[in-house]
Amino acid sequence: MQYSDECKDRRITQLRKGILELAVMGVLYHERHYGYSLVRVLTESASISLKEGTIYPILARLNADGLVRSEWVESDQGPPRKYYALTSSGKQLFDELSKEFQLLISLVQHKWAGREHPAHQGRKLAVRKG
Amino acid sequence: MYPEVVAKIVNDYMERVRSQLRVVPARQQQEFLLEIQSHVYEAYQHMAGDDDVARILAVLRSLGEPAEVVSDRLPGAMVRSGAKRNLPLYIIAGIFIALFGIPLGFGGVGVLVGLLAAVAGILVAYFAVAGSFLLVGAIFTLLSFVRFALPDVWDKLLALGVLQISGPVADFLDQLTAPSQALLMFLIATVFAAGGLGLLWLGRYLLRGMRFLLSLTFDWTRRFAQTVRRKLRRDQREGLPVALPGPIRTPPQAF
Repeated sequence: MQYSDECKDRRITQLRKGILELAVMGVLYHERHYGYSLVRVLTESASISLKEGTIYPILARLNADGLVRSEWVESDQGPPRKYYALTSSGKQLFDELSKEFQLLISLVQHKWAGREHPAHQGRKLAVRKG
Repeated sequence: MYPEVVAKIVNDYMERVRSQLRVVPARQQQEFLLEIQSHVYEAYQHMAGDDDVARILAVLRSLGEPAEVVSDRLPGAMVRSGAKRNLPLYIIAGIFIALFGIPLGFGGVGVLVGLLAAVAGILVAYFAVAGSFLLVGAIFTLLSFVRFALPDVWDKLLALGVLQISGPVADFLDQLTAPSQALLMFLIATVFAAGGLGLLWLGRYLLRGMRFLLSLTFDWTRRFAQTVRRKLRRDQREGLPVALPGPIRTPPQAF
């Protein structure tokens, strides 16, 4: 039985949603950005379709958790811009999450391509309870 | 900043965002709106094309529906059911939305208040039972102590009628020595105290479940209100010369 396009799109959306926060942290790791410039970097560096408004809930979450700091900067071209940068704890967390992400990738590739990555064998994926 | 017709479209969109942020504190609301305004302006400046209206519509389509943009500024039931939240604030917000935000009338408000009262009743009854268990446990512990350490006081309490033991219970206790009676009462006290503490412990899960149900009800009310408001706005906008063509659709592969 063939899967439907809707079924595939729904899963792709879910997959991207989970990773987008990590990608946002990655972009803000070295350079500060305002919302629009962040969207541009994300869409230009990876040719994916991104609903721009979804960036703001992510930034709000990161801000609430103290993982990013923000400041308003006047702009010559229009309204002021709110710049975001990763805090030191945000950077620390990003490093941790990147490792987890790499483990997840290796897990998926193991299932998919058999034993192509012997380097990862024996490493366990840390799963934390709620 | 914008051509007049574009400004109208932007204002309309911002108004829809603002209406989504009704429960957010004013200062945060202003800051968030300013951020979105900034985004819309930047995106509009960078959007290629000769037709101003087409450009701004493309920008807003790309930004997404106001509900998506503000999704994390509002309480969500499904995602954060286990997180700590300010429950009374939710209830007040729910009632306020029911009163002023949705055209359900007093019937809808009555249903909401009824639901809240029912949930509150269940919680009160549950914790009253837990409290009773603990109280019984404490009383039996005290009696056990009196029977064991203060036999004179025990006899006086019986003589005064403060303690009344009769029937098969009295017959059974008469067969036991005083320390055995004290031990028996202490065991009963332990069972009740353990039961009470167990109920309190399970109560955490009950509270969590109730909170989830409340949040779900509140979320459902909010979504229903949004749908109705959107429909009403669309009907009102039909007479205006320029308006957003209904809800902005999300491409299936987009976030």
